[in-house]
Amino acid sequence: MAEISFPLPDLGEGLLEATVLEWLVKVGDQVERNQPFVEVETTKSSVELPSPIAGIVLTLHGEPGDVVLVDTPLITFVVADDSAGIVGTVPQEAAPKRRVRLSAVLDED
Amino acid sequence: MKTDLASALHWQQHEPALDAGLAPVLLLHGFASSTALNWDATGWVRDLTAAGRRVLTIDLLGHGESHAPLETDAYAPSRLRAAILEALALAGARPREAGDPASGVDLVGYSLGSRLVWELTAERPDLINRAVLGGMSGEDPLADFDLDAADRFLADASAIAHESTASLMTLMQLAPGANTPALLRLVAAIKQERFEPGASVPSRPLLFVTGDRDVLATGTTQLAALAADTETLWLPARSHTNAVSSRVFKQAAIEFLGR
Repeated sequence: MAEISFPLPDLGEGLLEATVLEWLVKVGDQVERNQPFVEVETTKSSVELPSPIAGIVLTLHGEPGDVVLVDTPLITFVVADDSAGIVGTVPQEAAPKRRVRLSAVLDED
Repeated sequence: MKTDLASALHWQQHEPALDAGLAPVLLLHGFASSTALNWDATGWVRDLTAAGRRVLTIDLLGHGESHAPLETDAYAPSRLRAAILEALALAGARPREAGDPASGVDLVGYSLGSRLVWELTAERPDLINRAVLGGMSGEDPLADFDLDAADRFLADASAIAHESTASLMTLMQLAPGANTPALLRLVAAIKQERFEPGASVPSRPLLFVTGDRDVLATGTTQLAALAADTETLWLPARSHTNAVSSRVFKQAAIEFLGR
């Protein structure tokens, strides 16, 4: 198993921070990719953020009302080793390699 | 005579993966907002389609990807409503029929969108099943907007004395992608056609949803008292800006519109 943290993304328009309104998941929850996990508010609007990966929630960085800075950790997931890339990056979704049998299969007929 | 009011509007249909067989839901966003900000980024389109609802979104004139005409008259609330009804007809909405849960339309509005939803529901009880009115004000804050002060502010950054004008101006300046000159034309048109909730009152079932820290949406209780069939939900610790993404709001709306 491996841990992957995701920072608060740049929400655009030069915003540097956001306030946590409500966590939509709790520690120990299995979260699917693209499932919204938190509701945050900026000076301009409020939004739900979707999870970039599937995993189990290990840590929520901040309570409702806390200010989180862009590029600082927002959530940490535990993921299976084979789906973990370098910590802090989104793993590549490479197609599995296919083995091709080179020897001929003899026809029993 | 055929008009093409709806052609100035950018509207989109969002299909559910599994259709619940219910009426389509039209979403109308607030002043200085857009479909993208009010309904997409906040999860409304996703949650409604996940509940099996067909969703229609419209960017109001001068907002989002809709046109922003130069003449003030184009922004008159009565013309906005006519354009919305045209778009609904083009999207295949049809009048309510007893025993057919897929007939008619359900409406969800926020702020200025709720004013339009109130008026549309009062005008077209034959078409509209149920309506959700989010962050709605009984006294339209846009109608008291000081346009001269806004023009001076834009010309030379003169301070705006009128409090709600100043806060609406800040909202316009902060809103991503907002077209301030178009928004000021809309304000001018609204001043000519002020909201008069008592003039025409919806008879269909209504759900009011307001943040209990919303200082812009005053009068929820008085509006609810005007109509016959209403429910009211207060969202704890929510303001005008952050009530719209509330999960409790979305769940209550989906439940109410599914009845």
